[in-house]
Amino acid sequence: MRRTPFLLSFLILAVALLLSLAIGSVLLSPLELWNTLLGRGTDISSSILWKIRLPRTVLIALTGAALGGSGATYQGLFRNPLADPFLIGVASGAGLGAVIAMSVQWPYSFWGLMAIPLAAFIAALLTVLIVYTLARVGRTIPSTNLILAGVAFSSFATSLTSFLMLRSTGEVRRALGWLLGGASQSGWTAILAITPYLIVGLGVLLLSGHALNLLQFGDDQAQQLGLNVTRAKRIMLTASSLATAAAVAFSGIIGFIGLIVPHIMRLWSGPDYKRLLPLSILGGASALIISDILARVLLAPQEIPVGIITALAGAPFFLWVLRRSKNQGYW
Amino acid sequence: MLRKILLVTLMITLLAACAPQTDPTTAPALTEPPATEAAATEASAPADPTKDTYVSTFVDGLGREVKLRGFAQRVVSLAPSNTEILFAIGAGDQVVGRDEFSNYPPEAEALSSVGGSMGQYSPEAILALEPDLVLAAEINPPELVKQLEDLGLTVFYLKNPTTLDEMYGNLQQVATMTGHEAETETLVEGLKARVAAVDEKIATVTEKPVVFYEIDASDASKPFTYGPGTFGDLLIERAGGVNFSTVAGVTDPYPQVSLEQIVASDPDVIVLGDSIWGITAEAVKARAGWGTIAAVQEDQIFPFDDNLISRPGPRLVDGLEQLAKLLHPDLFK
Repeated sequence: MRRTPFLLSFLILAVALLLSLAIGSVLLSPLELWNTLLGRGTDISSSILWKIRLPRTVLIALTGAALGGSGATYQGLFRNPLADPFLIGVASGAGLGAVIAMSVQWPYSFWGLMAIPLAAFIAALLTVLIVYTLARVGRTIPSTNLILAGVAFSSFATSLTSFLMLRSTGEVRRALGWLLGGASQSGWTAILAITPYLIVGLGVLLLSGHALNLLQFGDDQAQQLGLNVTRAKRIMLTASSLATAAAVAFSGIIGFIGLIVPHIMRLWSGPDYKRLLPLSILGGASALIISDILARVLLAPQEIPVGIITALAGAPFFLWVLRRSKNQGYW
Repeated sequence: MLRKILLVTLMITLLAACAPQTDPTTAPALTEPPATEAAATEASAPADPTKDTYVSTFVDGLGREVKLRGFAQRVVSLAPSNTEILFAIGAGDQVVGRDEFSNYPPEAEALSSVGGSMGQYSPEAILALEPDLVLAAEINPPELVKQLEDLGLTVFYLKNPTTLDEMYGNLQQVATMTGHEAETETLVEGLKARVAAVDEKIATVTEKPVVFYEIDASDASKPFTYGPGTFGDLLIERAGGVNFSTVAGVTDPYPQVSLEQIVASDPDVIVLGDSIWGITAEAVKARAGWGTIAAVQEDQIFPFDDNLISRPGPRLVDGLEQLAKLLHPDLFK
């Protein structure tokens, strides 16, 4: 019985992955798909499958996993149901970095094309570092300070981003597309570039379940129960920021996944972070893949930035789950 | 501790980003004439460009070397201006796909769309059309060019012109790739003659009206207009007007300006580039604070098709003629 959520999560993820390979603006029949998977497809169908859909699906799955895992961690860390992976500035920092990079005409080269994701990644981590430094009181990091510093700095960075977008000439569309999320740069390079951070980041988070469970009693209690609270917080913040920053660097800012997936999993399987973290990682991946499928097909061949879909489809779904749940005091 | 982690992270990023680049899949070159500047390099005499075996090399707006086998027969256009160029030079039959916003000429609308709103294109749809040339423009991000290139497609990035001469150059560039050089020669000569005719009439003008070109006035207290370096600015001046941005000393290409500044500059003519969104002269007159402007008092407010200015293609000349006619109706009777 306790295994059911895991088995189901894996099953949903597998189905989502398959659907994502099967569905796109170009229709591949099940037979064509099968043949292509076996390496007997036409040039076009193999290109579509192996060079477009598969890398995109993998990138989206990794992004969703990072957002889901970091979201659960932040909610536990701050003991706040409104926390999401962007709470202390990863998204606004990344957005600012990306828009600054977009205002420069980079040469058409490998590094020129890497400039935007790299700038987003570095700016995201810098923002978290600044917020962390601003919020620190002596040797402790009070959660309230961290949230307030994060919100204030985020507003600052967001305004600066908007200002730069208004001043820019032709890049507004591009910047807007980035800020609304979506795997714009696909191909295997992006996946190779972010995988190391996701492995380290999500790996650390998967081991943090016990610490997060202790933190639910409050910082003082957790300290008395033998947890080095400051150190644990620092490690978890670093790990989730790394994972989130890497995820947004290539996929842009995708809201809502990191907020609702952990809640859905909590409603489903209870508040134990040892289970909640892996479930949120799996669920985040599935949820974002499904959103991306919708983004590709709703107006095909038009694509909708996936960040719009996550909130547009995610919010009603979450409200439905919330209404159905008999478990009122689940948090 | 944290600082160390961040430092290590930074180093890993730099390393990870060093992953090997995939080579763009291009057809093997049979003839490889050395590439000169942006213009096409015509190959040595015996080769026949109509043959599929003939490979010509071009340098595109991103400085990429683009190799084309014979003339492009299946072109996907990723921008309205590119679509207009292709049809104008007589390559309309060779276009197999277009972006979402290509709506001119009307025949273009029948072609299948490959996306494009919010900068999101469908590479699958482009690939499925089996194009031998994808014609990109400056509204397409270089990431998209790279992605299509990695899929083995031949992509040419057409840089935006900043003058009419550069626009003619773009027409000739596309003509060389699609095999319509002779027709394009005639087309460009015709366009030049029309521009010369306008120039000749405008040369006699002594009083140049100040023109406020409205791109968007969703907020009527601070509308957007064309600033220096845009075709809006260039065509207004060429049509015998003085652009408001010049009078106001604006430096941004697409500035959002305050109504106060417009009132102070007191334009003689208001051109409504946003008339396609339903803005009319009546609506402008009804706006609070606009009543004191000379153009409003003297009823010099005209609707205008902004596509004739915002799309850097051959219809810029239509835009010039229409603007000149608006500003100096007596000369164009």
